[in-house]
Amino acid sequence: MNFEACFRLLADRFKDDIVVTSAGNCSELWWEITGETERVFYLEASMSLAPLFAAGIALGTTRTVIALNGDGAFAMNPGTLLVERQLALPNLKHFVVSNRVYGSTNDLGHPFGEIADYAGMAKASGIERVYDFSTIEGLGQGLDEMIRVPGHAFGVLHVDPLGRHVPSPALDGPEVKFRFGRWLERTGGKPVFDVPLPKT
Amino acid sequence: MASPSTGASATDKVSQRIVDAAADCGISLVASLPDGWITNLISHFAEDARFKHVAVNREESAIGLCSGAFFSGMGTFALMGASGFLTCVYAITKINYTYQIPMLIGITLRGRPGDRAKFHQSNGLYLEPLIAAMNMPFVPIERAEDIPRLATAYKHSRVMSRPVVVGFTREVLRGEA
Repeated sequence: MNFEACFRLLADRFKDDIVVTSAGNCSELWWEITGETERVFYLEASMSLAPLFAAGIALGTTRTVIALNGDGAFAMNPGTLLVERQLALPNLKHFVVSNRVYGSTNDLGHPFGEIADYAGMAKASGIERVYDFSTIEGLGQGLDEMIRVPGHAFGVLHVDPLGRHVPSPALDGPEVKFRFGRWLERTGGKPVFDVPLPKT
Repeated sequence: MASPSTGASATDKVSQRIVDAAADCGISLVASLPDGWITNLISHFAEDARFKHVAVNREESAIGLCSGAFFSGMGTFALMGASGFLTCVYAITKINYTYQIPMLIGITLRGRPGDRAKFHQSNGLYLEPLIAAMNMPFVPIERAEDIPRLATAYKHSRVMSRPVVVGFTREVLRGEA
């Protein structure tokens, strides 16, 4: 399916959810489409750790936490599935965006999506709720079940390479931290920082 | 595992002291991957209801999980061996330094004189210089009297919004120092 259409559909559905995006196209395209500066943690660093970073967030909230993980990142550390299975967090939803290229490095191809079945890997890791989306229509029909039914879930989004350069989110690291953390605090989350902001 | 109060081994006693120090300073999430020196300590964390303990698949995963859990308001402790720590440079510099996320990291001080494992001697050569090269505050725990420094290290990580690493010697973990 078309990458941009896929993310536009996700953005339309994820209005109140916490989103963590991995480095590269996931962060870049989410930023381009949403311009979101508070509800999203753009983890534009350290490939492969977005799902467990999201799991750490999910430990402290009942809100749904969505990890958008690139397939290049996933291939680096698929063992995170075992940790996710161990945690079995009902509010954690992990998507692997399979475009079969390293999108932020000029769409350089990699073979992993052709030779491996990511959904099958998740099932073999003991994850029960596994989804595989190849079309916009299928995604539109199955997305709510994956996201709204409580229970840890893993989904693969088969998309075409974006084929163009997209700028990174225009936020420095500490700005992402404070915007995201203060938003969590302000919207009913547990205190994140040692010193709260005065109420206005 | 023997009870800490009745007939506990020296290792159990020191593990319990470390676990108590971690709980007292506000740590509630421990993500670990074992090194032979810290299996007893990990078991103490895993069996203590004051903590959520997560066994991770590799050490970088502990960095990712604990970094995210900062936003859950949890005090976190990533516990691992020296060799595993060396694999975390990418995660620490890219996540914790870029976004200024605090965390306490506990490691074994492998490769110091007295460690007879030949395959750990590289840690003796490169571990502490690498920590210094990363400008990461390093707090060695070399005697039982040093264990309260774990709380100091944890608080310092919160103040500076970066990870701080505490390193345990074999002697202290065995209750011999």
